[in-house]
Amino acid sequence: MRELDYDVVIIGSGAGGGAVAKELAPMAVDGKRIAVLEWGPKLADNAYTGREVEMARQLYFDSGGVLTKDRSMTLAYGQAYGGSTVVYTGTSLTMPEDVVNRWDVPGIEFDDLQQRSAKYLEENNVHKLDESELNDNNRLFLDGCIKLGYRVQQFPINVKGCRSSSLCNLGCPNGAKQGTHRVQLPAAEAAGVEVITNCRATRVDDGGCDAVVEAPGFGLPSAWESGSYRVNAKVVVVCGGAINSAALLLRSGFGDHLPKLGRRLTLHPALILVAEHPHEISNDHGHPKSFYCDHFWETEKFLLETCMYFPFVTSKNLIGFGSEHSELMRAFSRLQMILVLAVDPALESNRVLVDRDGEPVIDYTMGPTVLDSLHRSMVASAKIFFAAGARRVHAPAGRSFFIDRQDANRVEELIPRSNVIPGKISVTGAHVMGGCGMGRDASDSVTDSWGRVHGSPGLYVGDSGLFPRASEINPYVTVMALADRVAEHIRDNAGELLAP
Amino acid sequence: MHVMESLSDKHAAFFLVVAESITPEVESLDAGGRARMTAIVDTTLQDRDAATRAQFGTFLGVIRMAPMIRYGRSFDRLDSTRRTAVLRWFENCPISLLRKGFWGLKVLVFMGYYGQQARWSEIGYAPDFDGRSGVRHA
Repeated sequence: MRELDYDVVIIGSGAGGGAVAKELAPMAVDGKRIAVLEWGPKLADNAYTGREVEMARQLYFDSGGVLTKDRSMTLAYGQAYGGSTVVYTGTSLTMPEDVVNRWDVPGIEFDDLQQRSAKYLEENNVHKLDESELNDNNRLFLDGCIKLGYRVQQFPINVKGCRSSSLCNLGCPNGAKQGTHRVQLPAAEAAGVEVITNCRATRVDDGGCDAVVEAPGFGLPSAWESGSYRVNAKVVVVCGGAINSAALLLRSGFGDHLPKLGRRLTLHPALILVAEHPHEISNDHGHPKSFYCDHFWETEKFLLETCMYFPFVTSKNLIGFGSEHSELMRAFSRLQMILVLAVDPALESNRVLVDRDGEPVIDYTMGPTVLDSLHRSMVASAKIFFAAGARRVHAPAGRSFFIDRQDANRVEELIPRSNVIPGKISVTGAHVMGGCGMGRDASDSVTDSWGRVHGSPGLYVGDSGLFPRASEINPYVTVMALADRVAEHIRDNAGELLAP
Repeated sequence: MHVMESLSDKHAAFFLVVAESITPEVESLDAGGRARMTAIVDTTLQDRDAATRAQFGTFLGVIRMAPMIRYGRSFDRLDSTRRTAVLRWFENCPISLLRKGFWGLKVLVFMGYYGQQARWSEIGYAPDFDGRSGVRHA
């Protein structure tokens, strides 16, 4: 085992780790040794092929199919230089004041988060696409919502030079998506922060971490040779994403004195509905996610978003099989899609555990309120599809494979709540949050409002694991704002934290 | 033909039998298409732990033999209508373990079939790194 010494080690390079790395870069300029350990690979610019199965394998944990313990949900999160910011669609919202208030974390103030979020909106070139850049799939959603009187808004997204490939979720082949791999990490590296890819942190303690470098067989080579490492560091910032951060701390023994570690996991359970239009529509060209409907957010706890997925992901989100399934797939160029997303409560029972090998186990159950939200979201989506002119709709909880336009006024009856059956319907966790939640002390949380782990002054968490409850919106900008706080605290206390 | 490392020859062959019921077009795949399909599935299974691979193999065995109860024949000896009926039962099974197992089987079939670039033109999927000209449909 090789032993290396750093002042600060950041575990993970996604929205949190990338932001922390850049914000601590001035310290690197001043001579502090800072390293980012990223489990995933860094891909060359020309390695983004748009081939679904290939890119999913290279950019996501378990190819985007991490299973919950009860196998009723899958989670898709990034494993790459840039983390999930390489593969998300770049929608960039700031957390509403109501949600900040519901979080009820002493020290977390709406104005502060807004200010920090604004920094990242600018840094990541967040803006709304011009009307001319919106494809039919997005326009039809807008039209349907307007006709029904549903509140609908355009997503600001983080792109520069978007060429409408629609391949965002497989890694932008044009370098347009302004994730941490394009913005924060290069800036950090230019200042002297080291980023070590293909490097998995296996244990963390108050003096650093143990790590293993292993080449995955694709991507650019790591800066370190394959093998085991002991990385000594006075400060460790865990930014591995909600699942892996909690798992790392659990297998490192922190659960012994932090009873809330791993708990209150929220996932924004999501599913896809598909509708077929009578004519071809532009769907596989153009940014896939331009609009969202938050009309039902407060009352029925769900959001609706435009989306467009690739052949395999689309196929697995349809219920059924056989000739009717094939028939719908062959209508791909006529398909409109909606992603529905339930706002789930933060329950103690939904948690990250580790098995005897220290590997994460995601013990999460969709409760009745979540299933209710998913049901109502499917009914609302079907109405939007028909309002937009679809000839038939496929709803995963539908009584039949297709709901035809002639039955558009019967969607309430044709999509019964009793058909929302976990394990039959494909549900994915759209956003993975919690497990290292912020709060007052170890009796109610894992970290304080600066991301410091209770009882471990040099150990921080800087990712969506900090969320005490769901963000109720796409979380990435909020992750970066919280990571900004983590970095600020480290900088402000560097004299004490980094003392010899 | 791709020789699967994650499944026994018997399970691998049966997987394709079931796949033809889940996605009928599998039956008309040429040798190259079948090889690509099994290679995709094999890689995916190999990326999972041994317990998961074993569970999947066991589940294939359950599908093969379950029809004995009702039809007195194994799955591969049923006609297409009865094969579909068996799979519908699994899809809606009140036993969640079997229902979820079937969902996982479907996912692998769809991955192996629709995950092939060769299928794109068949279904009308035509991505372009520069899709700007295709954003507004004529």
